Amino acid sequence: MLKPYLSLPLLRFILLLLLTGFLTVSCNNSNSRSASVKGDTLQGKITISGAFALYPLVVKWAEVYHELHPGVTINVSAGGAGKGMADALSHMVDLGMYSKSVSPEEQAKGAWWIAMAKDAVLPTINSQNPVLSELRKKGLTRQKFYDIFITGKIKTWGEAVGNGCAVTLQSFTRSDACGAAEMWAKYLKDNKQEDLQGLGVNGDPGVADAVRKNPEGIGFNNLGFVYQMDTRKIYQGLEVVPIDLNDNGIIDKEESFYNTMDQVMEAINKGVYPSPPARDLYFVSGGKPVNPLVIAFLRWTLTEGQQYVHEAGYVEIPPDKIKSELSKFD
Amino acid sequence: MYLLNRKQRHGVNYTWMIISLLLVAFLPFFLFSGLYLKSFLLIHDYSLTELIFSNEWRPSSGKFGFYPFIVGSVWVTLLAMIISAPICLLTAIYVTQYTRKSFLRIMHPAIDILAGIPSVVYGLWGILVIVPFISRYLGPWMGVKTMGYSILAASFVLSIMIIPFILNILIEIFRAIPGELKEAALSLGATPWQTIKQVLLRKALPGIIAAFGFGLARAFGETMAVLMVVGNVVKLPKSVFDPGYTLPALIANNYGEMLSIPKYDSALMFAALLLLIVSLFFNLVMHFFIVRYNKY
Repeated sequence: MLKPYLSLPLLRFILLLLLTGFLTVSCNNSNSRSASVKGDTLQGKITISGAFALYPLVVKWAEVYHELHPGVTINVSAGGAGKGMADALSHMVDLGMYSKSVSPEEQAKGAWWIAMAKDAVLPTINSQNPVLSELRKKGLTRQKFYDIFITGKIKTWGEAVGNGCAVTLQSFTRSDACGAAEMWAKYLKDNKQEDLQGLGVNGDPGVADAVRKNPEGIGFNNLGFVYQMDTRKIYQGLEVVPIDLNDNGIIDKEESFYNTMDQVMEAINKGVYPSPPARDLYFVSGGKPVNPLVIAFLRWTLTEGQQYVHEAGYVEIPPDKIKSELSKFD
Repeated sequence: MYLLNRKQRHGVNYTWMIISLLLVAFLPFFLFSGLYLKSFLLIHDYSLTELIFSNEWRPSSGKFGFYPFIVGSVWVTLLAMIISAPICLLTAIYVTQYTRKSFLRIMHPAIDILAGIPSVVYGLWGILVIVPFISRYLGPWMGVKTMGYSILAASFVLSIMIIPFILNILIEIFRAIPGELKEAALSLGATPWQTIKQVLLRKALPGIIAAFGFGLARAFGETMAVLMVVGNVVKLPKSVFDPGYTLPALIANNYGEMLSIPKYDSALMFAALLLLIVSLFFNLVMHFFIVRYNKY
């Protein structure tokens, strides 16, 4: 007959096994944050999580920084800006990557942040757009974009450029909550992502693909998904809608800087291209960082680290802004 | 030879069995209470009817209406069932009643392969094939202008995803029906179709309903494939060619980005709670039918 045989030592043994398992896991966790500055060589671990939009740049930084200071390892994981913020606020990680403006709720919870690079959202259309030449000449004003993306008043391309073209206009937006859509909506008279009209497509590549497939489509994309990183030219099948910044109904010479990635980057850096839709990208942490290792890394990203920003497809922070960001450590 | 004696080994295994059982038994409870606690912030501030029946989804201005998501989910799921149910039923009848046993041996791996394909692959296939098909052919043919990203596209993809799932259960149910019942009907002069209709289907009815129910619950919770083709527009759909938004898609689209904003986070947890309750409900109903089926 089968009879349960529960010996006490056995149970203890099992419990011990479970316990050691838990301890090992939690030890790992606390290890990641124990850091020390020994002499002048930095040693320890930094953990970072957060926005997908910043992941390539921060990974690049982590690699370079590890080469400079072999004692320092930086673990970067991407899981969305909100996850980065939540992890940073709960001190699960040292730093969060954050791609939109820090909300009042998050500030109330003690969020501390510094800008470390810039990115920009550009309005995109298909290169077979029915009124492409008109758009190139006249561009679109903020009001026009507002009527396309927020009110939905503009329904054809003719209405958008002011001719008789009856082709319907199809707007695309991001289905996933993201900094790009947040910034684009903010540019359109301080709205939110949930106010944007249009078919929701998943991810930056998704929107770019939808626009590429639909000649009547209009969407918005981050810099890195409009221009090819190696040739610095616009991706095949896409076009950027020039923004008529001074509302004079024509694209002036200083408003036309969309030919190559470097031209746009310069316009963003100089502030010619407005912000929003250009945006700062942040490192956030729960309260002002106290770990000297983290502070050293952050300072490095704002100084020497800036030279890697450009090649990774982002825009450097202007010098005066760097000064004000560095002063946040004092 | 062994570290422990025979009795001790039994004891170890027994302990593990108890631990596993407790884990499984309490899992739904943990899930439910966790979600409830996390969504409490929202439930506390709004009435349930407001949350479920309000049309307005503007989290930044504090308006949380889940109605468009619920309606979107229900439309997509029901439409997927309408498409897949007859296909599954007819296939299952044909395979079990009209073909040789060896045919089933070939069919089974084929069905299992279909069931094992990751949902993101179905989603991609939907974008590549179904969406253009609807926008270029089906829409214009019906006289509708559509981008293809629609309730209909989602239900097409979904129905193909749940067909292998339902089919497997149906085949098992039909095979479990005693052959004598069929022989008796045939010997009384009934045609094969009469036998199927009057004997087979009648006997298998609770099982069939249960199979469809499991398919329904699965379809209701499917996330990735639906998210990729449904259009994700927060608006009550007027026709099947309109884009929609489903509850699982809402969670998947926003969770990573929004969990640092308490109200938003709570709203997403509430959506998860709704999903859990609906699938629990489906499962309970199906369980009831299966219990009845086993009594025959």
